[in-house]
Amino acid sequence: MIGALLSFYKPSFPKTIVYMLQSTEYKTGPYLKWFWRTNDFSKVSKRRQLDQTRAAKLLLLALSTGMAVQAIVGLILLGSGINGELSSGVEFGLAIFLSYPIVWAHLVVVPLELGRNLIIKPKQKKLINNSQDIFTKHQAIKIAVAGSYGKTSMKELLVTVLGEGKKVAATPANRNVASSHAEFAKKLKGDEDILIIEYGEGKPGDVEGFTATTHPDMAIVTGVAPAHLDEYESTDQAAKDIFSVSKDLKPENVFVNKDSARAGKFIKPGLQTYSADGVMGWKVGNVKLSIDGTSFKLSKGRQSLQLKSGLLGKHQIGPLALAAALAHKFGMTKNQIEKAITKTGPFEHRMKPRALHGAWIIDDTYNGNIEGIKAGLELLKTLPAKRKVYISPGLVGQGDENEEVHKEMGALIAKTSPDEVVLMNNSVTDFIKQGLSQGKFNKKLTIQKDPLYFYQNLDQFVAAGDLVLMQNDWPDIYN
Amino acid sequence: MKTIAVIFGSRSAEHDVSIVTAIASIIKPLELSGRYKVEPVYIAKDGSWYWDQKLKDIKLFQSGDIADFINRAPKTHILFDEGLTLVKSSPFAGRKMYRKIDIVFPATHGTHGEDGELMGILEMAGVPYVGCGVVASAIAMDKVLAKQVTKAENIPSTPWVWFKSSELASRPEKALQAVSGLKYPLFVKPAHLGSSIGITKVDSKDQLMNALEVAAHYDDKVIVEQGVDNLVEVTLPIMGNDSLKPAMLEQPLTKPEDFFDFETKYMQGGKKGKSGAKQGAQGYSKIPADLSKELYQKAEKLGLDVYRALGCEGIARVDMLIDSKTKEVYFNEVNPLPGGLYAHNWREAGLSAVELVTRLVDLALERHQHKQKYTTTFSTNYLKQF
Repeated sequence: MIGALLSFYKPSFPKTIVYMLQSTEYKTGPYLKWFWRTNDFSKVSKRRQLDQTRAAKLLLLALSTGMAVQAIVGLILLGSGINGELSSGVEFGLAIFLSYPIVWAHLVVVPLELGRNLIIKPKQKKLINNSQDIFTKHQAIKIAVAGSYGKTSMKELLVTVLGEGKKVAATPANRNVASSHAEFAKKLKGDEDILIIEYGEGKPGDVEGFTATTHPDMAIVTGVAPAHLDEYESTDQAAKDIFSVSKDLKPENVFVNKDSARAGKFIKPGLQTYSADGVMGWKVGNVKLSIDGTSFKLSKGRQSLQLKSGLLGKHQIGPLALAAALAHKFGMTKNQIEKAITKTGPFEHRMKPRALHGAWIIDDTYNGNIEGIKAGLELLKTLPAKRKVYISPGLVGQGDENEEVHKEMGALIAKTSPDEVVLMNNSVTDFIKQGLSQGKFNKKLTIQKDPLYFYQNLDQFVAAGDLVLMQNDWPDIYN
Repeated sequence: MKTIAVIFGSRSAEHDVSIVTAIASIIKPLELSGRYKVEPVYIAKDGSWYWDQKLKDIKLFQSGDIADFINRAPKTHILFDEGLTLVKSSPFAGRKMYRKIDIVFPATHGTHGEDGELMGILEMAGVPYVGCGVVASAIAMDKVLAKQVTKAENIPSTPWVWFKSSELASRPEKALQAVSGLKYPLFVKPAHLGSSIGITKVDSKDQLMNALEVAAHYDDKVIVEQGVDNLVEVTLPIMGNDSLKPAMLEQPLTKPEDFFDFETKYMQGGKKGKSGAKQGAQGYSKIPADLSKELYQKAEKLGLDVYRALGCEGIARVDMLIDSKTKEVYFNEVNPLPGGLYAHNWREAGLSAVELVTRLVDLALERHQHKQKYTTTFSTNYLKQF
């Protein structure tokens, strides 16, 4: 209790405040919620440290200066009160001195809010309006990629495959909101054949808004899973928003991932589906999965494609098949498609394997949904290993479905039955444990208290022949 | 949570190797296991004991700040108080700080530690400890005794002779006479040191006396061993008390004209004059050794036989020499606390660093529990009759 109180007055307090702001993308609401539920500010940075960007440095300087000035004023008043130069100086001075951390932790959001509302938002609104015009006039085929998960992977896959025969442009990295779309539009040259635009749903109406601005000709729905449930009331509400991308499109130009069970009830008649079985009349066969990647044959009538990708897992077959089928639809040759698929491989932190002391570590820490967990566990079960280890802190942003999802996760892990399960100690650990127990998991279970320390020292936990699957991330804001 | 004291350093030529073993290979994985509270106990080169959490930081030793630390820090004493308790002066009002130790993990190499001396203290305290006991440590760390014991168990070694260092000074001709029965090349070694310190390879008689003097400089016993033709060196880490688990036979990548001295082993990444090895003792060898299945099994069996013959417990590493033409395997020496626990080899054998240390602790507890079954006192009327 005393330690927690003293954490307000530690020299690291301003840095912690800026770290919290940075972690919440300088959003006032989430920052203030986090601030008020934090007891000990010396234990905030567990997962990572402050990224010393220019904005963070400026904010830190302003905050530290403000705090120092208030503390000095408080001390001067206190001194005057003690010397009898100022009546009530002691009380007033103490109040000013002691309150400086709390005052400045709140005052810091004022310039941020002013900047956001008076400068950034109007500028973004103008940019978005301009982008609507650019997208409408652009002659390229515009493909929207929406879904609770797998969007960035699908987009990158399309860029790699279609890029082998077409001039393709896509929204960068996982920048997938209206302002990012507008920045993307501004940089277009106008001679592109295909534009791929990722839609990152965050709150109700987002996808509908993106659709109105970018006017897609085709849409891909990569799947539905509980995500962003701090903003959406339910997964169904999120799914309705995601499927709004198809509203003004011809059903044959909308492709939905049939492997996503939760997407099933939103697939209206006429919409196209893709899955590990095939897409658009193309059938998948002769599937081979290994730590080096995935290979399969895609056939339609007399035509066939022999595809080999560095992407891991059965769940990648559907997206790969769709990318190949679309490439074929857009007139690319068999050679171009097969060559393009060989260029596809895992992205950073998304089912990316790396060797460590004779063990294989599959890094899937960017995965943040139950469908991704299913896919990862299926891969863990499929691949051979001397010892299999599963590591996860659990999923964030599961809202009202938190308990249910994590029990499901525990049951899925139990069904896969790895030799060891490592969980991080947090608010969902007990739910996962309940799921493990219901699934009669009887192998080794370890709970780690310090995730960062554990991940940094993973080499001490592995041995030759191990297969380790690391999934999900648990940012400090959720502690 | 049980408290483990990791004791390292000591008055040994291998003092620095011990620091690395303790901090990198024992303390870190023990802490990562989440099962133990770890107390580092450092024995300085003058034999003084220190206990402080700061001693877990390798930078303290690398920077040389350890000298300053020793000047300021209070020395640590030990109490045999129903086990082992560490005691030191607290900075507050002269009060004493006490820490009851549940288990000890010795991490000392060479003299005054690995040779059974430390184990003797721990036996007296009645505290469970990791690794070989007093007798096995003493025998294993005396290359002469180890050869004598294994010879009694019909375990083959290359021909060897030994002398007391004092004899070399007083009657050198006797030593030279004894060596004359051996075929060159010879290996002259101090009997008690590890990490290849003080060892010389001797190819001709004119180099012999100098090599004997070097070895005698380090130790009171010197052993001279005949080399092996068509040499393949292998080493086998083994774990266990009664039921033994071998790791993998490891083959140092040296040519017959090379051999490991301390510099090669720890300072040049393992391979004399060659780059490409990763670091320390971990980058110099091939795992598993490049041997036929039959020869591999033969060497593994001999390693296990040696471990049993010497009464090793917990962990040890058995070095062997193989004549690749005749397929003969010879016992060379035993290391009762392999540098870095040979964690790199165990990892290849499927045991992570964390599992390695936790299993060794479990073995220590198992042995201690087993010992409790024995009666150690006996009531007599002897005193009354006196």
